[in-house]
Amino acid sequence: MLVAPAVLIIAGLRLYPLALGVNFSFTGDGDRNGQAVGLDNYAVLLDDPLFREAMGNVWLLVLLLPVAVAIPGMLATFIYLRVPGHRFYRSVYFFPAVLSPVIVGAIFNLLLAYDGTVNTVLGAIGLGPVDWLGDPDVAMFAVVGVHVWATFGMALVVFLAGFSTLDSALIDAARIDGASLSQVIRHVIVPGLSRTIQFVFVTTMIGMLTSMFGLLYVMTGGGPEGSTYLPEYYIWIQQGQMNRPALASAASTVLFGVMLVVGLAQIAVLRRAGRED
Amino acid sequence: MSRNRFGRWLIAVPMAALAVATIYPLVFTANVASKTRHEYILDRFSPTESLRLENFASAWASAGMARYFANSVIVVAGAVALLLVVGSMAGFALSRLRFTGSRALFLGCLAALFVPFQVIMVPLARTMDQIGLMDTYPGLILAYVAQFLPFTIFLMTAYYSGIPREIIDAARIDGNTTYGVYWRIMLPLGRPALLSVGILNALFCWNDVLIALLMMPSADHRTLMVGVTSLRGQYSDDIPTFAAGVLIAALPVLLLYLFFQRQIAAGVTAGSTKG
Repeated sequence: MLVAPAVLIIAGLRLYPLALGVNFSFTGDGDRNGQAVGLDNYAVLLDDPLFREAMGNVWLLVLLLPVAVAIPGMLATFIYLRVPGHRFYRSVYFFPAVLSPVIVGAIFNLLLAYDGTVNTVLGAIGLGPVDWLGDPDVAMFAVVGVHVWATFGMALVVFLAGFSTLDSALIDAARIDGASLSQVIRHVIVPGLSRTIQFVFVTTMIGMLTSMFGLLYVMTGGGPEGSTYLPEYYIWIQQGQMNRPALASAASTVLFGVMLVVGLAQIAVLRRAGRED
Repeated sequence: MSRNRFGRWLIAVPMAALAVATIYPLVFTANVASKTRHEYILDRFSPTESLRLENFASAWASAGMARYFANSVIVVAGAVALLLVVGSMAGFALSRLRFTGSRALFLGCLAALFVPFQVIMVPLARTMDQIGLMDTYPGLILAYVAQFLPFTIFLMTAYYSGIPREIIDAARIDGNTTYGVYWRIMLPLGRPALLSVGILNALFCWNDVLIALLMMPSADHRTLMVGVTSLRGQYSDDIPTFAAGVLIAALPVLLLYLFFQRQIAAGVTAGSTKG
């Protein structure tokens, strides 16, 4: 059977651990290893300021999501409308998307240092300096900013792939009728790309929830004062540093719940769009 | 007309500025990497006077980058080879062979696509420990295969769905078994998709840090990305060598991007337009 190895690997190392993990989350750590403890781990999570910080930061990501989608969307529109140098921009913007978060984080550690490039540039125009990674009120925004820098190219090429399915005659017709750029975007491009826009919303959210570990690990280590914790980082700390796998499993289950909500929201939006068509 | 031209500049200037912001961090790092420690402390921004390679040599040799690099190559090569074989077999079967349950299997595969590693990492680590694969090359390779297989199968199934059944029927009439069809027809025909998926998987595995950190914790098993994270502590007073190490770790990705940009873009956009 040609599918046997694939089935074995996916069932054994993806789906089975998922069930196992949910099961772990109802057992104890340390002395109570293996014993059923009901919802104790979830109660611990609710009381843990670090986990609450992590969930608060998830909300922050949700609030920043429209910005993270709008930036590549605007840029893709300009590239599609053939701004001078659009080919060049396309390959330059996409480039950071292939770099590892570890590389990106290491480079931005240098740039965002207190005496680094960013503060030097700000100083030249009379601003700053800002303690980007040391100020609890700023650090999370700095890390998200770096994440957006590193990944907007990914969303950009997805938008461009969506544009290639658009009927360019529609846009030409609108322009001939005297529509301004913002009218073209609102009435022709956004409705024509609704599927692509939804796809980018969901993949960007999933990306923010599951691929910022490398940045957090390299840039802040969850600090200062736990202000840059995200659920994935919390899971890693509980599992890898604190040796509390059951508590980590409970946090994993919560994260999976958040992912499910994102997925279901996507389906709901698709259904509604389908009815309007 | 003049308003139009003004509008163009209004767009072109920020776009150019953003392009600079995209490239500058790498240029800055390359510049720092070819300075001496003394030059760096005096002025980290000025362009380097000459291209020096000492820092690269010392990052490669004394900081242990050579070892980390070899670990990464072993693991990535193993994982990508296995992903391509297992993924293309499953993609062929799911798209072109009708059997009971094939639809359910494909859906199960899609479901696995939405289970992130963070959600299963605790039980997966325990399972790996129980079967004796923790902190071994096969263990990490298997973890990568499990992580990226659903995506690989998804793309290979989509690609093979475009190949006419007549070709397969003809090959069968010529006396090929199912495995023969896979080996002599589907594998060679799948080359463009295999290239694209292979490069993407190589990037994913090469760039990963969380899975490697969890599955191969011991110091001499560090992959390159894990190595880079430990470099910072070792070389906090020698930033130029640190920067050189970072660039060494980024170089393979840079080369892949230069040669295969189109395949990479095709891979990440697959699935976005079909919805």
